[in-house]
Amino acid sequence: MAVHLAKKMLESGLHPILTFRDEAGLDRVTSRLEPWTGRYDTIYVDLDQPESVDIAFSKTEKEVDYLVDFAHDHLESLIGSANGKKVERYFASNISARARVLKQAARRFLKKGYGRLVYVSSAAVERANPGQGFYAASKLASEALYRNLGLELGDHGITTVSLRLGYVDAGRGKAYLARPERKKESASRGGTPALTTETVVEAILFYLSDSAAGFNATEVRIDKGYGAAKREML
Amino acid sequence: MKTFTTIQHHLSEILDVERERITPETYLIRDLEVESIDFLELAVALSSAFHIPVEDDEIFLLDLRLHLESAGTGDEKRVSILSAEYPFLEEERIQEILQDLDHGPVLKVKDLVSYVEYQCRAG
Repeated sequence: MAVHLAKKMLESGLHPILTFRDEAGLDRVTSRLEPWTGRYDTIYVDLDQPESVDIAFSKTEKEVDYLVDFAHDHLESLIGSANGKKVERYFASNISARARVLKQAARRFLKKGYGRLVYVSSAAVERANPGQGFYAASKLASEALYRNLGLELGDHGITTVSLRLGYVDAGRGKAYLARPERKKESASRGGTPALTTETVVEAILFYLSDSAAGFNATEVRIDKGYGAAKREML
Repeated sequence: MKTFTTIQHHLSEILDVERERITPETYLIRDLEVESIDFLELAVALSSAFHIPVEDDEIFLLDLRLHLESAGTGDEKRVSILSAEYPFLEEERIQEILQDLDHGPVLKVKDLVSYVEYQCRAG
């Protein structure tokens, strides 16, 4: 999805900086964005290595106006059976390291008096399935960091919004939706609750735009309305 | 002196106060009513102006009273802890701070000058 967003940004004349955390990630980016070589940058950031956040910001000399945060690992485990060390690492990487990102971004944006940040969250923060507790907790905590940043610096031109995505027909969501029982349910309902990558990318671009500047320090659910229903989302 | 005038300039801009009101002996909170958001802006401005890393907790002595609490009541221990936590402050200034604690927040403009010059020396 990040690469798709980058393509759209490139088509709009923007100069995205994409992060990668390993060689495979870098290869994916460079191969998919080959036609735009030279019109975007890549930089190493691994939230498991928090110091990489500071280094990345210090190396980025270009003026930055926007930050879109997709980075989030998944830890699927029942609360009662989770490995303690894994949980600690997971929260350190997905919450504490994110706070570091936000600190650096806040200071960078404060210098110029403008910055728009979009955090890609999940509808799981409201309606998690069994096994998604740690994922939901870390997403919710991250939302709180973004919300407060917007609250604290909104008057200084720095605003934030978190997008709670429902099922997306990409990545982990695609694999989940491909399960036979999910396919059967979708067929019986006459449609899929899944968002397309295109829809999500368009939503992100809208929430980055000046038209959406009034959305600050808040969360928006994007799930085709399925989360509003009494029935299960899927 | 150049460090002070640069800090004075940024403080004046951020707080919208006249430069003449800002001297090395001016208290940031007591006299200028600096708030946390002003501290953040100032940290960013100083970091950018002097090309130094600025740790807000250190430059603004944010945890001063916590450090003192952990030190107990003995003067020698208190000075020793503050010297370790704030290596940019001279012992004379630390003694002055200890005498001043009951009157309110102790941070002065000259403390910012000391921090910046210390960080510049550290390179």
